[in-house]
Amino acid sequence: MATDTRTKRLLNWVDFRFPLTEVFERHLSKYPAPTNLNIWYLFGFLLIVVLAMQIVTGLWLMMNYTNSAEEAFSSVEYIMRDVEYGWLIRYMHAAGASAFFALIYLHMFRGMMYGSYQKPRELIWLGGWFTYLILMAEGFTGYVLPWGQMSFWAAQVIISLFSSIPVVGEDLATWIRGDYLVSGITLSRLFAFHVVLLPILLIAIVFFHILALHEIGSNNPDGIDVKKHLDEDGVPLDTKPFFPYDISHDIFALGVFLIIFCSVVFFFPTGGGYIIEYVNYEPANPLSTPAHIVPSWYYTPFYAMLRAVDFPLFGLTAKFLGFATMMAAVAIFAVLPWLDRSPVKSIKYKGIFSKTFLGIFVVSFFALCYLGMVPPTETKTLLSKIFTIGYFSYFLLMPIYTRIEKCKPVPERVAQV
Amino acid sequence: MSLLALLAISFFSGLSFTASEYKCGSIECYEFSADTKDKESLQRGLSAYMNYCYGCHSLKYSRYKRVAEDLAIPLDIFEQNLIFDDSKIGDLMQISLNESKAIELLGAKPPDLTLEARLRSPEWIYTYLDTFYEDSSRPYGVNNKVYVNVSMPHVLEDIQSELSEEDYDRYIADITNFLTYVSDPSAETRKQLGIYVILFLLIFTAFAYLVYREFKKDLK
Repeated sequence: MATDTRTKRLLNWVDFRFPLTEVFERHLSKYPAPTNLNIWYLFGFLLIVVLAMQIVTGLWLMMNYTNSAEEAFSSVEYIMRDVEYGWLIRYMHAAGASAFFALIYLHMFRGMMYGSYQKPRELIWLGGWFTYLILMAEGFTGYVLPWGQMSFWAAQVIISLFSSIPVVGEDLATWIRGDYLVSGITLSRLFAFHVVLLPILLIAIVFFHILALHEIGSNNPDGIDVKKHLDEDGVPLDTKPFFPYDISHDIFALGVFLIIFCSVVFFFPTGGGYIIEYVNYEPANPLSTPAHIVPSWYYTPFYAMLRAVDFPLFGLTAKFLGFATMMAAVAIFAVLPWLDRSPVKSIKYKGIFSKTFLGIFVVSFFALCYLGMVPPTETKTLLSKIFTIGYFSYFLLMPIYTRIEKCKPVPERVAQV
Repeated sequence: MSLLALLAISFFSGLSFTASEYKCGSIECYEFSADTKDKESLQRGLSAYMNYCYGCHSLKYSRYKRVAEDLAIPLDIFEQNLIFDDSKIGDLMQISLNESKAIELLGAKPPDLTLEARLRSPEWIYTYLDTFYEDSSRPYGVNNKVYVNVSMPHVLEDIQSELSEEDYDRYIADITNFLTYVSDPSAETRKQLGIYVILFLLIFTAFAYLVYREFKKDLK
């Protein structure tokens, strides 16, 4: 008992000077989560875990990695062979990158399905979108660091895309590279971005994302506004406190996720070439181009779009138009809240058009993901074009189809199971 | 709907075109699955490698000592028999090849092979070592089906002519096993540790599920 009051006194002392208990209860223990959340609501928590894991493993990798063109490749092999459990740290970091993208895609899809981007959650969605952008930059810069053949040539291809921008392109690409070709100078600046600039931005924006979420509250699979019905303490009736109800749920999910993740790390660390590409086991060689330059699987939908645009238009080169299409495909997520004119949030209550176009989007995304991985043929480029149109039709036609379709009425309260 | 079906058909018919390229140069790879648990095979592979390949092909990311320990070879025996220069047992397995001389003689610089099995695949190495054939148009009178017009002479020619076909297959299997091991020396430790990790996670997840189920009852 004595210790109990002592802890309480310490806590009171802190609370008088800093809102510790308040913050803890507001953002963790008492955060009200809707009672009808389903499996799609687990990925946010798992993303936080993966972010933490990437930071920790990244920190340890950095202790032994050398960011020079001469030594980067061998320092990675040094980590794999001579550093105690270096192989584990590196495989976790590499598989962690793929897991990060797999989870963020699922998390984004959840938002699209249940209209989590709609009013009043536009800023939460924008924060998430910005996280995704930074993650893409983080993935790319990290991919270059082992300085294998694929690292080098991916950097070469991606940075050269900027040179397609009219007028300023060439100078811009040179400015990004810090050299006329991808070189050790490029490597060390990408390293600086990867370990300092981008992680700081990532953490800051994730913080913003969660703060905004906790202000508004979570959406739910029915898109019901749970804040309309409060109990006498002002807590929404159709919610449960995060602790212990959601955390027990999340920890169970974490267990399942870790079983899958560790199976990959310990038994299939290269993921059949999708996590660590075999070509990257050869040191970077500016004089020999690999037969197929393929980006990581999580970028391939956009890579397929880049290749799909193979025609010049209005005096702009095909390369620039492809690059612009690719950028637009990522950027368009940002305006999603303003494209959706539907009176309901969740796909459950939206009409047939919303369902169809979301279906077309999913099919197009997976098809482009595949098409970006394989060498192009005429048929495949045609297919890429069709699926690129499919991808964009979901967004661009949304203001029309969400307005004309007939929606089902949304229940007032979450159904009691 | 019919448009979607048409799309699906054309999409999947596109898939069949991808397999046209052979994984092993001009032929399909021979069937081979590397066994990095077989210590004796690894030791034989190491000794063959050190005697026939190491003159030109370094293993510069690997250390002598690590190989000796992983393959259960006493350090003094390793030092006496398998280190040919004044390298220390803890050194990287680098060779003092005269690069310009090698290029003059062979036309190319012999690559380091530490990561060859990961870069190409064990099947590739095995098939490569098994498919040298006589070709008088080449500088050394031999060519290879996997690496067409390779600059390397058939170093194992004498061995191949001395041994029966079966014994030669075992001989190159040993070398391939060794190169597979050296490309990923932690593979066996990793798999062993992985079993314990997964077992722990299964138990953890089972308890996590029970906790979750218990709290879920409250909500009804």
